[in-house]
Amino acid sequence: MASNQPSQARMKFFIDTKRCIECGGCEVACKNENHVPMGISRIRVVTVNEGERGETNVPIPCMHCSKAPCVAVCPVDALFTRHDGIVHVNKETCIGCGYCLYACPFGAPQFPTSAPFGARGVMDKCTYCAGGPEEPHSQREVQLYGSNRVADGKLPMCASVCATKALVAGDSPDVAEVARKRIALRGSGEAPWGWSTAYPGA
Amino acid sequence: MTNSMNDIRNAKSVVIWGENICTSHPIAMQHVLHAKEVNKAPVVVIDPRFSKTAAFSDKHVSVRQGTDVALVYGVINVILANGWEDKAMLRDRTYGFELLQEELKKYDLDTVSNVTGVSKEDIQQIAKTMAENRPGTVIWAMGGTQHSNGTSVTRAFCVLQLVLGNMGKPGGGTNVFRGHDNVQGATDLGVLSDTLPGYYGLGEGPWKHWSNVWGVDVDYIKSRFKSTDMMGKPGFTVARWYEGILMDAKELGQDTNLHATIFWGHSSNCNSQMDRVKKALEKVDLIVDIDPFVSNTAVLPDRTDNVYLLPACTVYEQYGSVTNSNRDNQWRDRVVDPVFESRTDIDIIMDFAKHLGFGEQFMKNRNGPYSKDHVVEDLAREWAMGMLTIGMNGQTVERMKRQKEWAHVFDRDTKRAVSGPVKGEYWGLSWPCWTDKHPGSPILYRVDVPVAEGGMGFRARWGKEAPDGKTLLAGKGSAPKGSPIKEGYAEIDNWKTDITGKTAEEAIAKGIAPYGNGRARINAWNLKDDPVPKHREPIHSPRPDLIAAWPTYDDVKDHFRVPTLFKSMQKPEYAKDFPVLLNTGRQVEFEGGGSADRNCWWLVELQPEMYAEIHPGLASDHGIKHGDWMWVESPQDLDDKPSRMKVKAKVTKRVPPNMIYLPFHWGGSFEGKSLAGKFPEGHVPYGIGESANVVTNYGYDRITQMQETKGGLCRIIKA
Repeated sequence: MASNQPSQARMKFFIDTKRCIECGGCEVACKNENHVPMGISRIRVVTVNEGERGETNVPIPCMHCSKAPCVAVCPVDALFTRHDGIVHVNKETCIGCGYCLYACPFGAPQFPTSAPFGARGVMDKCTYCAGGPEEPHSQREVQLYGSNRVADGKLPMCASVCATKALVAGDSPDVAEVARKRIALRGSGEAPWGWSTAYPGA
Repeated sequence: MTNSMNDIRNAKSVVIWGENICTSHPIAMQHVLHAKEVNKAPVVVIDPRFSKTAAFSDKHVSVRQGTDVALVYGVINVILANGWEDKAMLRDRTYGFELLQEELKKYDLDTVSNVTGVSKEDIQQIAKTMAENRPGTVIWAMGGTQHSNGTSVTRAFCVLQLVLGNMGKPGGGTNVFRGHDNVQGATDLGVLSDTLPGYYGLGEGPWKHWSNVWGVDVDYIKSRFKSTDMMGKPGFTVARWYEGILMDAKELGQDTNLHATIFWGHSSNCNSQMDRVKKALEKVDLIVDIDPFVSNTAVLPDRTDNVYLLPACTVYEQYGSVTNSNRDNQWRDRVVDPVFESRTDIDIIMDFAKHLGFGEQFMKNRNGPYSKDHVVEDLAREWAMGMLTIGMNGQTVERMKRQKEWAHVFDRDTKRAVSGPVKGEYWGLSWPCWTDKHPGSPILYRVDVPVAEGGMGFRARWGKEAPDGKTLLAGKGSAPKGSPIKEGYAEIDNWKTDITGKTAEEAIAKGIAPYGNGRARINAWNLKDDPVPKHREPIHSPRPDLIAAWPTYDDVKDHFRVPTLFKSMQKPEYAKDFPVLLNTGRQVEFEGGGSADRNCWWLVELQPEMYAEIHPGLASDHGIKHGDWMWVESPQDLDDKPSRMKVKAKVTKRVPPNMIYLPFHWGGSFEGKSLAGKFPEGHVPYGIGESANVVTNYGYDRITQMQETKGGLCRIIKA
């Protein structure tokens, strides 16, 4: 299995829009796990067509895209892709310019607005519960980026608590297998939400 | 619940009737989705609103609130007209089908459609879907029960499942989802005013039985009561306790008014008629609020003395067993030691008993006095000795702890352990778990397995013969598998009182269920008004033209010690003055009165404000835009003026065009004024707002006195 070979690992999210019930468990678990401040959402459940046939809920974290546009546009190379596909921001390099926000197709980058004169602070986003470019579990990492569950061999908190397993995290082949089985059961043939954008050609 | 949450995975159809699973029981929704995706089970949601759960349905039916019995009967009539009923089940395992047939004549499809607002085609489709996809589950919650005829609604769901033959089968059953952590356990252990633990009731026999279990002389218990009459008399209910303070003592079913009120993990904002609750809290001599957080009770009344707040531990700071909605028992560990000066519930109870002068008797046990070090274990052993009626005997402390260690070996679909020392046991040792060898019974009334494996017929609770002379014992061939008696039989002598457990053990060894093998009563003759369920218009009916044909009950003088009004409160003119339907329910972020959740800022960030769902059409008729403030006013009922609350409009098509829907978890604000200044310093919750129950109407179930909060009227005014 690929998951036994860390060098080939490729972390992904599968967002099952036919299963999310908008309970908000992922949002609260993320905030609790990473001590995310008020006003910043590393994951957010978006509901469309509320109260009508076709009502759909979509939990949206950072998708950790394979050719991440945020990484491409960052003028100071604060954004980078790890060997396992997780996209990190180095908060000590980030200048808060906001280019990444315009480039991101998922609205993942978040900016604290508490800086003077409404200036943007440095970017914050979903880390896949994998901390940041610091020593795992170091005080600095916890302070700047929050939890590092991946270093302990654990999945992101949001996916771990998902009541209906609408949000699935893990190594690419495992996640793809879950998605394939569910889509086959439904016979819909639909591609997983966001994958053509986040993981083209996967 | 006759079946389990997990067992929904075996359903061929899922009917969710008056329950919003996505919001109230989100974890359980995975099982509904499994049935839908893997079994291709059609999901039917019957709810006035297009709820979050309705979004996952194949068919949503918007029923007028409070007309569920009529809709069930419409569905049953279609089933019978097509010969889809389970004839063997009705013949061998039920009593009173003839009386039902008589009642059903009043519910032709045109009538049902007129009463419920559901089209004839939809009624036929519900029946066809359920008949063609068996076994199917029927799931409900407060949308089914919080009506003046709520007991009838609940019984109608059971009758429907009997007619379809969906009882006693994996994937079937009548499944009412309980709403709070351990609320089933609380009910089982008798946190009710009309019974001792185990649903024994309040008669002389029950008092003797429990005194025997407690190791206390029954005469001592008697000496604590004013009279033997009062010893057997049901007390006040949680719905109307405050009338014991407000009403003239002459009107009450006891000699005196109430002088003190103790809230223990319960929020007063859960009570309808909250303006009367406020008055009562201002009049009563003493208020004690035992809670981890400062609840609405402490700030609602305008008073400055004799309100005591006792900080209690959260679940994480104490340990013991809990029982979930589907009768599973689970042992829970303490996560952290009690924080600050908070104390565990049992610690507070024991001190109360001591200072009230019966500490010694309270701490007595058949094996000597309890030890403070393991009182929770001692108590668990005590209830396991006494709760014979429901077979809550085999859930020993040791077994519950062992299951916790071996949780990983239980199968998700069957709930049965496949290996390890727990092999063969069902998860949670679901009651009835008659003995410490019994595996538990996750599916009630199953006759295709032996009693020793969780099988049983219906309980022979009402003897061998009904008042009309017909048998109440099950017919031929309907005994649990492996039974030496192949038909119905009466309950075994002493099975409810033999605390050694031997009677039950011997019966089970023979393949006999201790409680007998009887018939499910479609005709419950002891419920004099409605021996079979009947549609009755809500007290506050939006259809005054239907009141004459479907009237509510006669008023009741001494109903849990208070007079409860039915007919004299059902006034046709309400519908003219208050033309908008009022409904309440949950939001997913909070629970109950919300005093814990509204103190969690991550939850409050998701839902920072109280709101009223209002349809775009109704909103624009009143010049109200999304986010505007509005007043919601409801009939004055017992008071001298209408009740009113100020709330923000959430404009959404989720509600039908003529309905206001309010989440009920809010508190800390009253009639447009914030009560934030009345909290002790540093204790104002992050989220405060107006309580829905300020405007919920008068109206109570004829049998249980549950409040009618799912069928009221109101009017709205732009603020």
